[in-house]
This record gives sequence, C-alpha cells and structure tokens, in this order.
Amino acid sequence: MKLPGIIASLALLSAGLWGQTGLDSRKLLQPPIDTWPMYHGDYSGRRFSTLTTINSSNVQSLSLAWSYRTGVGGIKATPLEIDGVLYFSAPDHVWAVDARTGRELWHFAWQSNGGIHIGNRGVGVYGNWLYFETPDCNLVSLNLKDGKERWHKTNCDLDQFYYGSVAPLIIRNHVIAGVSGDDLDRPGYLSSYDPETGDLQWRWYTVPQKKGDPGSDTWPNEDAMRHGGGMTWQVPTYDPELNLLYVTTGNPQPVIAHKNRAGANLFTASLVALNPDTGKMAWYFQASPHDTHDWDATQVPVLIDGEINGQPRKLVALAARNGYFFLLDRTNGKNLVTSPFVPTNWAKGIDRNGTPIPDLAKMPQIDGALVSPNQGGATNWPPPTFSPQTGLFYVGASRAYSVYYIYDTDDNPQGWGGTDRGGANLGSMVQAIDYKTGKIRWSHPWESGGRSGLMSTAGNLVFTGDGSNNLVALDATTGAPLWHANLGASVGNGPITYQLDGAQYVVVAAGDALWAFVMPKR
Amino acid sequence: MAIAQSVLLCLAAAGIAAAQEPAPSPSLAQSRQVVQKVCGVCHTPESVITGGRTRAQWQETIDKMITAQGAKGTPEEFATVLDYLSSQYGPASSGSTPGGRGGRGRGAAPGGMLAGAGPNDKHVVDEAAADRGRKVWAAECIDCHGTYARGTDNGPNLVRSELVLHDRYADKIGPFLQTHKMQSGALGNTLTAAQIGDLAHFIHQRVYDTLRGSPIFVVHNLLTGDPQAGKAYFNGAGGCHNCHSPTGDLKGIASRFDPPALQARFLNPRPLGGRGGRGGRGAGTAESTSPGAKPVTLTVTPPGGPAVTGTPIVFDDFDVSVRDVNGEYHAWKRTPELKVVKNDPYAAHDELLTRYTDKNMHDILAYLVTLK
Repeated sequence: MKLPGIIASLALLSAGLWGQTGLDSRKLLQPPIDTWPMYHGDYSGRRFSTLTTINSSNVQSLSLAWSYRTGVGGIKATPLEIDGVLYFSAPDHVWAVDARTGRELWHFAWQSNGGIHIGNRGVGVYGNWLYFETPDCNLVSLNLKDGKERWHKTNCDLDQFYYGSVAPLIIRNHVIAGVSGDDLDRPGYLSSYDPETGDLQWRWYTVPQKKGDPGSDTWPNEDAMRHGGGMTWQVPTYDPELNLLYVTTGNPQPVIAHKNRAGANLFTASLVALNPDTGKMAWYFQASPHDTHDWDATQVPVLIDGEINGQPRKLVALAARNGYFFLLDRTNGKNLVTSPFVPTNWAKGIDRNGTPIPDLAKMPQIDGALVSPNQGGATNWPPPTFSPQTGLFYVGASRAYSVYYIYDTDDNPQGWGGTDRGGANLGSMVQAIDYKTGKIRWSHPWESGGRSGLMSTAGNLVFTGDGSNNLVALDATTGAPLWHANLGASVGNGPITYQLDGAQYVVVAAGDALWAFVMPKR
Repeated sequence: MAIAQSVLLCLAAAGIAAAQEPAPSPSLAQSRQVVQKVCGVCHTPESVITGGRTRAQWQETIDKMITAQGAKGTPEEFATVLDYLSSQYGPASSGSTPGGRGGRGRGAAPGGMLAGAGPNDKHVVDEAAADRGRKVWAAECIDCHGTYARGTDNGPNLVRSELVLHDRYADKIGPFLQTHKMQSGALGNTLTAAQIGDLAHFIHQRVYDTLRGSPIFVVHNLLTGDPQAGKAYFNGAGGCHNCHSPTGDLKGIASRFDPPALQARFLNPRPLGGRGGRGGRGAGTAESTSPGAKPVTLTVTPPGGPAVTGTPIVFDDFDVSVRDVNGEYHAWKRTPELKVVKNDPYAAHDELLTRYTDKNMHDILAYLVTLK
C-alpha cells in the first residue's frame, strides 16, 4: 500500500487520541516493524515485513529466544505485538506475554456456555482495549494492561448454533466482527461495534433477507435466502484510501444437499467490498457460484499495489479453497486473472466475468462424485503472504481427491445432507504464484504433507510450517529450504515478526506453545 | 407464576436449611424414587442422565419443568431432585459431555465430529418421549408441518424456527400452542402437558437429525455402475489386473467389505496413518484400514554406504530416518549426496484418482461387489 498518503489523509484524524499508552492508532497505517498491531500485520493482508535483520544469507544462525506454553489446547491465533507485549488467544482464553522473554503478564479465561471450540484466530486492539470473540457468541472487551473485562456483548445466537472464532479487526472507531457456524441453516453476517460502548453500529447480512434485495434473484425463495449461510470466518482486509473493507464469505446452506437453493446463491463464497462506516456493499465477486463442496471463499483477500501492462493498479488477490487464484481490480471488483493454482476437476470453464463454471456432474451425487479439491480444499484458512519484493503470492496448497455423497435425498434438505469421504491427498506444497498472471513461479512440495500459515520478509524469506512439525524458512525467490526448527507440533497459525532493541524476532504457534526465534542486532 | 415463585423460594430455603443444619440425607435409592415420582410422570428419568449440568443449570431446568411443564411435587421433593441430579449428573459426571452435532443433543459427538455445537444447556432428547410425541405429531401437526417438520405450503418449517431453537422442554413450544389451532381444528391447549412435552422432544429430534452424525446421514445406493464395464476397466485401461486378481488377493473381497468400504478401499487402500483424504495433515481414514497392508518405505543410500530400506519415521527437507525390517533405527541429515527413494505401493492408485471418470468409479465398484 502507498502508506505516506494514507498516513497524511487518515492518521491525522485519530492521532493522539489515546496518548502514549496502548496502541497508537497511527501504527495501524504503518508497515509493521516494531509492532504487529493486527491479525494480518497491516490492513493489506499481505503479511510482509520490511525487516531484513534476518535474511536469506544469515537465517542459518537464527536461534531460540524463548517458548511459552499455555497448557490450553491448540493456538491458531496470530499474536499481536504492541509495545513489547504479545496478545493472543485460544477459545475462551487470552494471554499477554512479554515479547522479549515470553514471560506471562496476564491470562484471561472466559466461563463458557458452549459453542464449537475448534479455534480462535486472535484479538483486535484499539487504544487501551482488547477485543476477542468467544465460542459462545460473545464479543468481549478487556483492559490491555491487566486483562480485566470491561464489557461483553452478544455477537450471535448460540441457540442457532452460531459461534465465535474470528479475530476482530479495528478500523478507526469500528470493531469489525465476523460470525461462524454451519451446522444449521442460518444467515451469515458481519457486524461493526462501537469500541467504547460495544453498541452495534451496523450489520451486513451476506445473504439477502427479502425478495428484491441485491442478490435475491439468485435464490429460489425467501426461506432459502434467509437461511442461506455465508459465514464470515475470515478476518477482512482494508484499503484506507478507498475506504473499502474486503470481506470473504462462507459456503451456502444447506451445505452439500442443495435441491432447495437453486441459483448462484449470492453473496456466499464471494469476495465483497463494503464501506466500513455503513456496511453498504460497493461490489462483489463470487469465487464459487452455488457452492456444493463446503469450499466457501473465506481465504484472505490480499491487497496488492501492483502494475498490470505498465499501469499502476490497486489490486486484490484471492487464492480460494476451490483451487483458483483470482486477481481483481479492488476499486470495482473487475476480474483480471483466474487461474488454478493446483489441478482441479469441478469446473467446466471460466465465464466472461472470470468466475469458474461448476460442472453439474461434479456436484455431490447419491452414488458419489470424485472431486478435487476435497472438502479440506486446495487451501484453507491459514493465511497466505505476498512479497512486493519478489512479486510472488505464496500459499499453502494441497492436491486432494474425495468422493462427495448426497445423504439426504429430500426435496427440502436441511443442514448438510451429505458429505465427502475417502480419497487421498496427492501432495501438499507451497505455491509461489506470479500475481500478474496466476502462473506458478515455483512450487515447493512437502515430503510429509503440511499446510500452515505463511509470512514473507524483505530478507528474501518465507516462513511457514511443514508436515514434520518444523518451522521452515524458504528462499523467497527460489523456494529452497534454508532453515528449520522442530517444534514438536505442527505450526498452527501464521508466523509474525517484529524488531525490538535492534533484534528481529519471529514468533509462531505450534500446539499449545508460542515459540520465539531471534537474530541479535548486527 | 406466583406458585412457581413460591416453589423457588422454598427450594432456596431448603438449600439454606441444608447448609445450616444438615438433615439426614436420603439414600441414593430413596432419591431415585423421588425423581421417578416427580419427573417420571412425563419422561423417563434416564433421559436426564446425559445432561452434565451444574447445580444452577439443574435448578434452571427444574424451574422450567415447573413453569412450562407443570411438574408437581413438594418443596422437599424438588430439593431432593436437585440434590440428586447435581450430584449424580453434574459437570464432572460421565454423562457430562455437551451434546455434539447430531446424536440428538446428547453424549459425545458421533463419527468424530466436533463436540460442543450449540449451547451447553441444549434440549436433550428423550427418545421414548419423542416416540410418543411422534403420535401427537401425526395426529395434530403433520398435515401442515410435514413428516420431517420441514414445513409445507400450509405451515412453516419448524427445523428452521427460532422459537424451536430457543425452546427447552416445551418452555416456548408449550405457550405457543396455547393459542394456536392444530390440524383437528382444536387449540393446542387441549393437549396435556405431557403430550406437549413429548411433542417438544419429537421436534427437537427433527432438528438434531439434520446435523452431521445423525442417523439420516448415511450413504445410499452406490451400486449404479455396470459390472461388465468395470471388469473391462479392471483388465484394460485401469491396469488393475497388473497387481490384482479376482481369484487371488481379491477373492471374496465383497464378503469382507460393504460397498461404501469397498469403494473407499480401491480409491485409496493405504493403511490407517497413510495419506488419507483430509488434505493438509496426512491423516488416514478408518475406512482405509487394511490388516497386512504393504507399507510405504524409503530406500536411503549414503555416499559410498550400503542402501537401507525401512518405514519412514521422519521425512522432510532436512532429515530422514527409517526403521528397517529388524527394528533398527537409522537417521541421516539430508544432503545432495544422500539418495532417498520413496517406494510407494499405492502410487498407481493415486495416479488412477487423477484419471477415473465417475462412471469408471461406479463400474469398478459394481464389478468388485460380484467378487463374493
């Protein structure tokens, strides 16, 4: 992103509101150097660090700084790092630990009333306040200093089998919170809350709520659209200059059996641009029309300030779970590139809008349809990364087949109504994609599987995890493996990096532990 | 309401009295008799044993039984019920796992699905009560709401009803019925409290039966292929006959596996722990378990040294180690000079996955099921 202009135009509005304590809001508009102030590091979602203290010529001497064990489940959260303190979460839990030593400063535990505890992606911070979602549908605000609860608000209805897993994103005075859950047929939505009071500012439903609403012509009736799913499982990205929020949406409901939702089922499995002040939609692009494979499109929409045919362009890239890499103009959603990043067999072609055309024969069948990717997807929620230095978009990918079955043959199926079974994963790898063309520049296969989040740095490095529990540093230009450390459990999140006292740290989660590696000041 | 409040006050008073001056506590058997007397009027007490609730949650449930279901008893009896349920079916009890997806809201999640979907205090279905409720449903509800409670042109879908999802033991369904006509033309208030309770169990059962892991999530007929075409593929384009024989290793295979298992096996016959279907993590599937299956091995040849073959323990970009047939462990740092060859007896099956049409898949299965 072009940061100087952004800082001039927007940071002035909010600078100085919180004094020197907590998170200085200007940090939200700067490249992450001594701070990792939000889930993706910055609003672009590229998870690229300009730091070079650790680089491809010295990464061999990267060494362990500390590790911290929570003793509570697996960590899938990307930690935030603010003023030398790391803040991260697991379902019902938040911790603050010293970013230099791993010493615990505080630990908050939420008394749960239920919900799926599959994972929590992390926290959001605004000034002196921290926000996170609980599995039992609460948005909780804590005091950053001591982890004491300030308030909690209901973000969803647990009785409808919604739950919370997403990290909130802070944009000026908005706490943007997604919602999770695909057991019952309920509508997905994205909400914005006041960071001080927790009052709801707006709520945008991912599926139309009545006939005549945008997208309602892609559903057979109101009952279908009002229960059409489209959960907001992923943390959005944001362009401050355009003031547009980029949101990816989940699969339609019922998930597998689909007789009662004929049509493209907008705005499920889509990338949508919203105004963060109003929740109004500016444009959309659907990655999987009428998804029947639980693929959704809730991967990270990565903002790239690039060049196409010699012209500077504001772009957004998405490597979707359905196996396709999409490049769009992020001012208007116009498609520029659609290209598979692993071989797939479910689409008959690409339509004039750049959208794959589903092959009816590869939708779930009573006697089974052999489909690739499988339900796990060609990629999944672990974050990809984009390096403006190499021009490559890096994503953890798998090529897998499975058989999709319809179990519920009723004309009005509910819930899932089927699933995929069996098959095999033919391989997992990191794909380095030329963002301008979608072509694979290099592919680094993992010998034993693996698919973790990624981070790239100006030190010509890509950090990620393999299937042998290693944190691995790859050469960003060639994909050559340069360094590793075995963490005893697979990397569960996207790595982060920050520089404190001239030393560059890389922090990653594996199992229930955070691990920090450091390169001392040169 | 006034009655309910007085009962609650009595309950609280009973609790305080017990704390201050412990009364001789009834034996477990005596308590069970009280539970049977108070609760057994409407449902089998066994239906509560999967609750796993705290004392406060049990008290809340009892309150609901009193207010919504008209449960009757003395304050002492309700106190005994509360003590019994809290001590025998509290959070630490064996039945304490919150209901998973499917499985009708109780017990551990079936089929390896994620536990914990929905609230901890979700309605737990009493199967016997639901069976009784089915009769009420057939008599008074089915015409408008359909066999599966998914609605018709004449009545809404109750599986998607927020009132139903918020209901616990008819505390919402009961009051709703008081003012609503049923298919006989009678008002819902002509049903007894017990009938309404049974109906609630039946309706919640319909909701849970849409969840993953429920009894309706089963594979149907897979035998749509042409066995002759399957045989031709087996002996021709598929190349299966190069390794397999219907009178040798596959003799009688259809007697050992049902069609879904058989289909899973020929698509990926790796033993459990091999690369399974889930993508990322290399987990196997139970369906692919195969006693005596051939292992994937690595043959590692150090510079100048003898080649060692064994099953991989570590295999990544940096290290490789194997256990050989004698159980000896061998480990190496990977270098350009170290030759590593993977011997995958299932590679041909992987290659076929990229070539099968769905017709090929159905035809092969149709052929294999003839090998009884």
